[in-house]
Amino acid sequence: MDNINVFIIEDTVSESNTLVKVLEANNYNVVATATNFKDALETFYKSKIDIVILDIFLNGSPDGITFAETINTVPNVSKPFVFLTSSTDRKIFERAKLTQPFSFLMKPFNELELLYAIEMAVEKFYTQEDVFLSDDEDTVISDEYLFIKKFKSLKKVLITDIIYIEVEEKYCNIYTEKEKFVILISLTKILNLLNNSIFHRTHRNFIVNANHITEIIPSDNLILLTGNNRATLSERYKSITKQFRLLK
Amino acid sequence: MINLLKLTLLISFFYTQLNYSQEEKNIELLNKEIMDTSDEFQSEVFFKKAVSFFIQKKWDSTLVYSQKQLITSKIKPLENFTHFLRGYSFREKNYFYESEKEYNLISNKFKFYNKVRTILGDLALEQKQYKKAITYFKEVLSLSKTQLDSSYIKSSSITHNLGLCYLHLKKFNESEKYLTKSLLFQEQKRDTLELIGSYGDIAILYYEQYKDDIAIPYFEKAYQLAKNSNNLNSRYTTSKNMAAVEENRKDYKKALAYRKEMEQWKDSLNNQNKIYAVAKAEKEFAVKEKQKEVDILHVENELKETQRNIFLYAAIGLLLTLGTGVYFYSEKIKANKLIATQKENLDALNTTKDKLFSIVSHDLRSSVNALKTSNSSLLENLNSKNIPILENLLQKNSAIVNGAYSLLDNLLNWALLQTEQGYFNIDKLRLFFITEQVSYNYKPLLNQKELSFENTVTKKDIVFADQESLKIVLRNLLDNAIKFSEPNGSIKIYSTNTEENYCNLIVEDNGLGMSEATRLKLLSDSELLAKKENEDIIGTGLGMQLCRSMIKKNNGKFNIESELGKGTKMIVSLPKTSPHG
Repeated sequence: MDNINVFIIEDTVSESNTLVKVLEANNYNVVATATNFKDALETFYKSKIDIVILDIFLNGSPDGITFAETINTVPNVSKPFVFLTSSTDRKIFERAKLTQPFSFLMKPFNELELLYAIEMAVEKFYTQEDVFLSDDEDTVISDEYLFIKKFKSLKKVLITDIIYIEVEEKYCNIYTEKEKFVILISLTKILNLLNNSIFHRTHRNFIVNANHITEIIPSDNLILLTGNNRATLSERYKSITKQFRLLK
Repeated sequence: MINLLKLTLLISFFYTQLNYSQEEKNIELLNKEIMDTSDEFQSEVFFKKAVSFFIQKKWDSTLVYSQKQLITSKIKPLENFTHFLRGYSFREKNYFYESEKEYNLISNKFKFYNKVRTILGDLALEQKQYKKAITYFKEVLSLSKTQLDSSYIKSSSITHNLGLCYLHLKKFNESEKYLTKSLLFQEQKRDTLELIGSYGDIAILYYEQYKDDIAIPYFEKAYQLAKNSNNLNSRYTTSKNMAAVEENRKDYKKALAYRKEMEQWKDSLNNQNKIYAVAKAEKEFAVKEKQKEVDILHVENELKETQRNIFLYAAIGLLLTLGTGVYFYSEKIKANKLIATQKENLDALNTTKDKLFSIVSHDLRSSVNALKTSNSSLLENLNSKNIPILENLLQKNSAIVNGAYSLLDNLLNWALLQTEQGYFNIDKLRLFFITEQVSYNYKPLLNQKELSFENTVTKKDIVFADQESLKIVLRNLLDNAIKFSEPNGSIKIYSTNTEENYCNLIVEDNGLGMSEATRLKLLSDSELLAKKENEDIIGTGLGMQLCRSMIKKNNGKFNIESELGKGTKMIVSLPKTSPHG
């Protein structure tokens, strides 16, 4: 599991310092900070960023909104973002609200409010709302990562790293090369959200990453995976073998 | 011979008179019968017209329309009626022959057939066809009494006429028989006019036979009776007869006297006729005048009607104008009242605002002042290296600053709320996270005051509200709860779902509590709390007012339950469903 990369755009250094302090205390990885629109845009395209925290007002003008508007226009580039603001001025808000999805954080804020705002932004961005707030689920799935709530903060797991998933009632055991962990998500949801050309169901309780399959042994109902992992292949899902070019 | 000539003249006189007197009495009854028949045949226009002219005694017109009726219509019963009308009209116009012809056309099935026979008799008598008349009269007389009555025929007059016929034929015996018989009837009936006629006729009967002794008393009787009547005709005839009688007796003096009297009556008769003519002319004139009057009245009526209509419309118009006037006036009064109350409210609000400003600035000034003094003592202690006391002072400072900050925050939010400048977006919120986030800021304060704190709102509680305003409300409620709690007290936040559409969020403390009066003041609009009790604790009331307004804006409800010395429950009820469905 990796820490989330946060990019802070804030013109007041003392405030960005406070932010960095709180975020790092909660295991977030602050990739960079920027104080103006130009630097922010440059850094944004250079860095690997998972979420942006940006002040609406940069040096007296609502450049924060302009930034959000800019990254929103480029497909597959946009990331979840949280607006920081110290005023609830309606006109500004009406404009900021157009940069859907819209999440904001009122200054002054405390630690809980900040973490909550980040979670809300991720949920809204990947349109999987009510995940981190409920007791039933704790994972938001994007194309690239699983965002998992661990205690108070979020973690991410690269989806291509997943070797297989074992479903156990309402939990899912995720196996990667390095670790094994448990997430809370329903089977239907995970099947819907994962790319089904890569992830295949081989059993009532198994979902396997095809890229990590090393060998399929139909006679033993067994699939061998990288890192000495094994998954079960049930009769019902044996048809998946036809999808691979088999060595004979 | 002269005598005889005179006598003939006399007789005809009597005859006509008798006949008419009889006719007059029955004519009304006849008219009624004819009218009824006309009503029965409404569709027969010509008949109807003929009848109406008949009743108006316009004989020529009656003849014209009855002729048309006879040509166009084939209704049998009406034919008889029409012939009757024609016969009557011809007779009235003295065309006796035509009249007789019409009457003869009437079949014996006609209702008044007997009457027709009688009239035919009369006609024959009038045309001096005495024998023919006698057959008609005898025929009618042979009928029973009831038959006669139903045809409006008087047997006495027929008897009399029979006597007259015989008299003309010089059959004195027969004549005497009938005349005496009719005289008997008439004496019984005491009809003066008829009696005069009868006496006269009988007198002539005897006179003709040269039985002067019997005749003269009858003449005298007739004369005496006529003298007492006011019928000029009778008086003229009787006096004439008396003159003839006296002349024959060679008593010329008396004869002359009678003759003179006769002349007098003749003149009177002429006069009367003239008077009648004049009267008729006058009557016609009067009728014309009346008609004119009627026309004028008609026109006047029309005029009045139009006037009335104009008046009516004018009245309606006026009423409408009045109505609208009253309506607008009342609207104006209403508007004025509204403005007056609004003005009152505005004045009250303005006073409140002024008061608020003074209190807020006073509060801020004292806060800053306290900070100033605290800072100088901080510096003093720092200089004297009295380190242990520094922490205490700093904590005090931060408390003061926190208080001032929340006051300023409220002031700002209040201003935004009043000017509707703030961002307000009702969304689905999970109460637990909001309460957690807000109470997080109060952790140090709670610890410092050694208050236990518990948030038992469940994650399942979802409300629809604006996040920032809900936070402001919660901050104020927590502020108050902490402010009015004694050390080691406890503060709880929890939720109840007693109502279907609302989720109740409750902030409960076991602190000072408040009196009922204070509670009501806090719940009422535009009331600020004066700083009376607890000089350093009781605030401006701005926070509570802000809470009330914010909750209202979130479509929520606010209530307070409190008891002095036991604690307070602040209850915020928020809708569970979106206001937009």
